[in-house]
Amino acid sequence: MTAIPLWVRRPAGERVGWLRTVDHKEIGVLYIGMGVAFFAVGGLEALLLRAQLATPESRLVDPLTYDQAFTVHGVTMILLAIVPLLVGFANYLVPLMIGAPDVAYPRLNALSFWLSLVGGIILYFSFLAGGAPDTGWFSYAPLAERSFAPGPGVDYYILGLAVNGAGTIIGAINLTVTILLMRCPGMAISRVPLFVWMTLVTTILILGAYPALTAALVMLFVDRQLGGHFFDPAGGGQAVLWQHLFWFFGHPEVYIMVLPAMGMISEIIPVFSGKPIFGYRFVAGSSVAIAFLSFGVWAHHMFAVGLGEMENAIFSATSMLIAVPTGVKIFNWIATMVGGRIRLTTPMLFAIGFIAMFVIGGLSGVSLAVVPIDLAVTDSYYVVAHLHYVLFGGTMLGVFAGGYYWFPKMTGRLLDEGLGKLHFWATFAGFNLTFLPQHWLGAVGMPRRVFTYAASTGWGPLNLVSTIGAAILAVAMVIFAVNLVRSLRSGEVAGDDPWDAFTLEWATSSPPPPENFPVTPAVSGRRPLWDRKHPELRDPS
Amino acid sequence: MRPPAEAISALALVVGAIALLIFIGVEGALIYAVLRYRSSRLPAGRPARFERNTRLEIAWTALPAIVLAVVFVLMLGTMAEIGGGGVEPGLRVRVAGHQWWWEFSYGPVTTANEMHIPIGTAVDLDLTSADVIHSFWVPELGGKSDMLPGTTNHLRLFARRAGIYEGQCSEFCGVEHAWMRIRVVAESQADFDRWLAAQGRPAATRGGDGERIFLANICVNCHTIRGTAAAGAAGPDLTHVGARATLGAGVLPSDVARMRAWIADPQQYKPGALMPRVPLSDPELDALAAYLVSLK
Repeated sequence: MTAIPLWVRRPAGERVGWLRTVDHKEIGVLYIGMGVAFFAVGGLEALLLRAQLATPESRLVDPLTYDQAFTVHGVTMILLAIVPLLVGFANYLVPLMIGAPDVAYPRLNALSFWLSLVGGIILYFSFLAGGAPDTGWFSYAPLAERSFAPGPGVDYYILGLAVNGAGTIIGAINLTVTILLMRCPGMAISRVPLFVWMTLVTTILILGAYPALTAALVMLFVDRQLGGHFFDPAGGGQAVLWQHLFWFFGHPEVYIMVLPAMGMISEIIPVFSGKPIFGYRFVAGSSVAIAFLSFGVWAHHMFAVGLGEMENAIFSATSMLIAVPTGVKIFNWIATMVGGRIRLTTPMLFAIGFIAMFVIGGLSGVSLAVVPIDLAVTDSYYVVAHLHYVLFGGTMLGVFAGGYYWFPKMTGRLLDEGLGKLHFWATFAGFNLTFLPQHWLGAVGMPRRVFTYAASTGWGPLNLVSTIGAAILAVAMVIFAVNLVRSLRSGEVAGDDPWDAFTLEWATSSPPPPENFPVTPAVSGRRPLWDRKHPELRDPS
Repeated sequence: MRPPAEAISALALVVGAIALLIFIGVEGALIYAVLRYRSSRLPAGRPARFERNTRLEIAWTALPAIVLAVVFVLMLGTMAEIGGGGVEPGLRVRVAGHQWWWEFSYGPVTTANEMHIPIGTAVDLDLTSADVIHSFWVPELGGKSDMLPGTTNHLRLFARRAGIYEGQCSEFCGVEHAWMRIRVVAESQADFDRWLAAQGRPAATRGGDGERIFLANICVNCHTIRGTAAAGAAGPDLTHVGARATLGAGVLPSDVARMRAWIADPQQYKPGALMPRVPLSDPELDALAAYLVSLK
């Protein structure tokens, strides 16, 4: 067995340690590790929910525990798993992709990671300190006010999310500055890899959206602890105000969670099609369009609130419009494959899976933008199905694609392809079995966030199917875990460029040295490594 | 007028059909591209240099925008229709959501958890909440509307056929959100008028043991039985509780045995519900349950 350093190729004998490191690669790995750990925890919570719902009027889990589980599941998956996973990949990859030695502010980078993690720990500490939050991940007022949620759970939610959000905001500033100011010679903004483009758009979204959440959390804290009445109608406040503030954060948050994954597959699909991305400018530009629109759609989460028909119609129009730039991306990915030479490796399978599943989530999303349809199915399992098609079928399949693709760069070893394909197909089957039936359950009347349902509703069989799907998903994740552990120890040695890739991260060693590139690279096109490998076929600059 | 639920279904069918076509087209193109251009199926050689095409970009930007514009216009029509389309309702009912039950007021007549409506008539609900946000949803009768404290929202229902229509609260409202079910009995105008008249009458007071026990215990702090001294407002009106088919907003079917079990320990059936256990002896429980179920 060859000894290969993990994550960073340091000179022999040099040790820094996880607590002290300010290397963007190690901080990226810390973020990814945090994301993986919380993904496992959130997954176990989801299994508990599905076990309880497998049969009608089940008494497996008591209602309070169930409410805590779905609340913490949502917060965990969104803020403690998906966002750290994506920020982690961005941390590891952005400096490498733009030919920089590190991010702009390495110490600040460490601070943002540790704040994000501490935020998560604060949230989970609530289980030991008198009860986890049980008001749902969007924690609507006045249910989250002290009069209806007297326990400390919501306070831990406020504190945990505020601290975690501070970390994310600081990290976003760091990445924005890095991308704007630290590109190597020749790396014009119109030449950066699309993952970097979409990370830039994402970090700008974070800077616009997260402060709204922080403000809302502070206001809720004032209500709960200092006798305020921002969201308390009995004291002259407005319950709907919380929803406006929360969704002003919450909807851009969806794109914060989707765009980087789109960036990942925008790297992977071209490499495994043997072609440059089709319509680079349109794929990059459509991200900017999505970012703009995403700040003008939040009230589509609130069609049933009674804002008025005119308001609903306007937010419906903006929400539908988002489908246009999203469609542009999908068409460009497919056009990238057309005329290519497609290698169906595990990362490519997951990337194709992303497109296939995201199309379903996108179409159900358009149906939810249609006000009367939304009035029928909002707050039902239809929404649960929709959001999981976007965030699991989309983002998580994208993250798996990225994981299989960049694991060899981070570790020097390839993940096993056989186990990887098994992982993909088990995930694909389990995912669809879990979430496809939920569209129907929602359409016939099953609200979300119910700890049980009457036997007379007839919702039992489809719920059982959904639970079986969840069990298959769990098996798929075990396969992935086995693959991770085995490949870390004894995976095939990758070399610098195992995929015959295009971008700069593959031009350095696997894993890269602390300074990333012994000599600062200079580039003259969008595929610098391709140009270096095929000088006779270099892209027109 | 077309019932709102039918108008929504018709729109959903059109949107669903469009979505299905797009789904088949896009997934078909994806599968075709993957199968057609797999390297194992291709002769050796370099991939084509097919990297940009502004006309294609314009086409696949404009076409979805046109489809969405059509959907948007169709939507506006349905929105106007389910909003009532200027048709005056035949009946207005005031609905208040409570943690975890429903209060229905037909003018001065108040009942809980089970509402009756006449068929063939537009029914408008004035929706509000006594505590947190709830949401009214009976899928076969109309869309849903949130119910917010301090605000009144409106929702139109319409039942074509007589029958029982079930729904439940659709905005997470706390620990017993799952057992906040709505039962709507749609019946002919004549049956509805008879029901409303009966609901309007005070309870028949006979001064029996059950009634005495009810009035002597904390029951009266929260419940009203019109015709007696019980005038609590925090819990469901029980004047005609025996005429309702379920207990605890749907958690149990109603009969004497279950009424007794429910009073003896509501927390066993609906953990977290705001109704406490009332310490009563077995004979007291028997009498109280029999009395309440007799309130038809």
